[in-house]
Amino acid sequence: MARAQAEQQQPTTGMTLIVLVGLAIAFLLLMAFLNVIKSGNLLSETNLLFATLIFYSGAGALYLGFGVTGTESYVKFASLATWLGLIANTAAVAHRWYEAGHAPFSSVYEMLLSFVWTLAVLTLVAEKKFGVKVIGTVTMPVAIVGVVLMQLLRTEVHPLVPALQSTWLHVHVTLAMLAYAACALSFALAAMFLIQDNMKTETFLAVTSASTLAIYAGVVFTRFEKWGGLSLVAWDPERKSEVFLSRGVRLFVNVPDLGWLMALTLLVVASPLIFYGLARLKKNDVYLTVANRAVFLSILLQIMALVMFVVRANDARYPSLDADGLFPTSLAASPFILSGLVGGVFISLLYLLLLWRRPDLGRLLPSADDLDRITYKTICLAFPLLTLMIAAGAYWANQTWGSYWSWDPKETWAAITWLVYALYLHMRITRGWRGRRAAYFAIAGFAVVMFTFFGVTYLLPGLHAYA
Amino acid sequence: MALDFRAVAHKSWRTIASIQTGVVLLILVVILAAAGTIVLQRPVTEPDEMQRAYSPQALRVLDAVGLTDVFHAWWFLGLMLLVSLCITAASIDRFPNSWRFFSRPYKYPDESFRRASHPQKSLPIADEETGLVAAQRALHSIGFKPERVVRADHFGIFAERHRISEMAVYIVHASLLLIFFGTIVDGLWGWSGTLNLNEGQTSNIVELRDGNTRKLPFAIRCDSAGQENYKDGTPKKWWSKLVVVADGHDVQKKEIVVNDPLLYNGVRFYQASYGPNGNVDKFSLVATPSNGSGEKQEMGLAVNDTVPLDADTTVRFAEFFPDYAIRDGHVYRKSNYLENPAAHLVVTSKLAGKDFDVWIPTLDEVADNSKSPWQFQATDLKMSHFTGLQVSHEPGQWAVWSGVVLLGVGLAFVFYVVHMRFWAVPVCDPKTGRCLLWIGGSANRNRDAFEQRFNDLVASVEEELKTIPGASRSEQVATVVGELKLGN
Repeated sequence: MARAQAEQQQPTTGMTLIVLVGLAIAFLLLMAFLNVIKSGNLLSETNLLFATLIFYSGAGALYLGFGVTGTESYVKFASLATWLGLIANTAAVAHRWYEAGHAPFSSVYEMLLSFVWTLAVLTLVAEKKFGVKVIGTVTMPVAIVGVVLMQLLRTEVHPLVPALQSTWLHVHVTLAMLAYAACALSFALAAMFLIQDNMKTETFLAVTSASTLAIYAGVVFTRFEKWGGLSLVAWDPERKSEVFLSRGVRLFVNVPDLGWLMALTLLVVASPLIFYGLARLKKNDVYLTVANRAVFLSILLQIMALVMFVVRANDARYPSLDADGLFPTSLAASPFILSGLVGGVFISLLYLLLLWRRPDLGRLLPSADDLDRITYKTICLAFPLLTLMIAAGAYWANQTWGSYWSWDPKETWAAITWLVYALYLHMRITRGWRGRRAAYFAIAGFAVVMFTFFGVTYLLPGLHAYA
Repeated sequence: MALDFRAVAHKSWRTIASIQTGVVLLILVVILAAAGTIVLQRPVTEPDEMQRAYSPQALRVLDAVGLTDVFHAWWFLGLMLLVSLCITAASIDRFPNSWRFFSRPYKYPDESFRRASHPQKSLPIADEETGLVAAQRALHSIGFKPERVVRADHFGIFAERHRISEMAVYIVHASLLLIFFGTIVDGLWGWSGTLNLNEGQTSNIVELRDGNTRKLPFAIRCDSAGQENYKDGTPKKWWSKLVVVADGHDVQKKEIVVNDPLLYNGVRFYQASYGPNGNVDKFSLVATPSNGSGEKQEMGLAVNDTVPLDADTTVRFAEFFPDYAIRDGHVYRKSNYLENPAAHLVVTSKLAGKDFDVWIPTLDEVADNSKSPWQFQATDLKMSHFTGLQVSHEPGQWAVWSGVVLLGVGLAFVFYVVHMRFWAVPVCDPKTGRCLLWIGGSANRNRDAFEQRFNDLVASVEEELKTIPGASRSEQVATVVGELKLGN
């Protein structure tokens, strides 16, 4: 019944979405154009990035629409939008390269720029070459988050300090970007494999809920302050850096009441997991329906938390518990919390997408066997790239610091990533791990990659301070 | 008893060579390495920072188990050795089989192999020779070198490519062992430290990481060093002109920059930092007599230089503070950076039989400049700089780099080079006299792509069969029969 309805509605809703997305893109471009006229500079990096964001968002919306409704024509427009976004993205990279006089790999901002570019290219490759059309539903939102983060991070061109002036650096970072993008792709493919393999929707519910729970638990347990405040790092807008009390000790400001909201969101986010547990325990599917409703509620609250966080934490002054007076803070000072919150919303929305999927979604995806094999092939590509990346990095370190391996956190985590994928390959080749277990492994591997890429930079100290 | 021992040895060998052990060990390495990035590590972290981060009890426990220096702890080294042992054992355990496979290729498929093999195809042929020639030509055309296998009672065609791919995994494992070997050699015999040289200074004492010093059998002199900046003032380039001095002779010269070290006798000198050492190279002054009678004098002084001002007065450049602070009427050096400089001059007058302290700038709390018979005006200050060199000796690094190259090659073989084999065997039914050419193939990876290749080969054999003269008639008949057979 529901299916018949979906089939009937499909042509109309399909056109509506394309028209809506097209209109939105046109509107945003118009706004951007007005902005350009005002500033008189068309090809500034901000504008290019803005265009990138607009097109990737349009592509993301269309890919998601394709994922939900399965209308083939979406994909055409989605790839068109991706192509346009990629052109703007390439222009932004070229602009940056020209302005800086070196390849854009020397700061988190520049690396994100390159990473997003690689991701878009790989998405198009996966779509055209392997026919994995739905891949954009996962990669485009990741690209969007990347571009949004870029807007918040520092953007001035920093000249390269002497240690970074080496061809090996470019080799190292290019390989890293390629390897990480390949890992991202393998993650997306593994996730699709799980869908195609008819993994139970509730399992996804549990995983989604647990990941968002982990995000909010992390935020609340590390940042909740007395009287419901939330601690955020103070930001010096002039110097565009965090405020330090002394070496390595950052100054925190206390944003009142935001802590309560985060704590409330934590509870609501936890509820689907609790109901899932009840459903498993009492073997009663009613609880699952409740759990799905709770996911809706949690998305609403998450969006509220995100909006409040953005509104309150951006360019405002708050008192600190450690020093007198008001100190400014900015979103740029808390990139980790921000990406966590955005990621939480994104994961939950992905679950909704899965919940509402057409019963014949399987037909749109390549067969489970194919997905399994392509995932493996992607990792076969990623692993040598990771190896070469580490080797180039070691060679560069040897040229610069006189030691090819010094166990700094980034190096160590790169090695850990390498080991995790090595384990995957051993399990697959010698123990014949296929299907689900291999897919879980590929997903875990990508989690480690993400930690190496972001987590180490923001959470752990080390030599890779500029990356 | 001896038998027991052998059983135990055999069992331990099986354990150490098993993939489970390898996986467990690798997971342990992952966990411990991750712990090493989360717990603050000595000696990178300063002791007082460690004390701030952890309570004394916690710190004592962490230190006792070695978690504050994971990567140099004996148990981590032990674990790495176990991993090496495991890789070696696993490789040795599996090697004989692979070697047999590698050194004695399976050239003639027997009947049971032919039945089970995939992909395979049988084509009707006129006679054995036609089939063999067709297969040979087809294999030639796709760039293989087919060989004719002749046994006592049967014959066939065998062709293969990239047999080395079967050995690739051993190349990878061997390269990892080579890398481990290199790092162990470096850990045991290598060292690294720093050597700071002022311009013009010669030294052979290296300060090691652990606080000890090491005397080199030769010395290094820094002739000059410098820094170039970007427009915004951030450093762009540091350079030092270094000379190796051995037995009193200059034996090697090189201008080093960051990323381009000097190598002498296995010891590398890297440009690591550059900065003022807080000392004055040349201080330029103009001196005028306090009473106005007499000539102005210009002079350039280094610390401890003494120059005459007139017949019975001299001035000595006594002290220099690049960044001074005054406490209780005394001047202290706050840092080596040229932030807030002060110079101490001593004017000695034989006539008055007494010394006068002069400070530039005027420091009234310390001395009264106006008493001096001469007054001074600073015109220029040239600071001298030190160049910070990182010195290291890594005798094992060649093993590491060859290991890395070998690893790259090995991985390329593991993932991208496929061992492909093709067999063609004519099979004749003694009752009917009809002949079929059995074609089989095998690949050790990327099987779907191989299947395509196999189908192309079969098509090409079919083409060849048509072009071989003298066989065409009977072949056509055979084809019909073959198709009928397939139809069933």
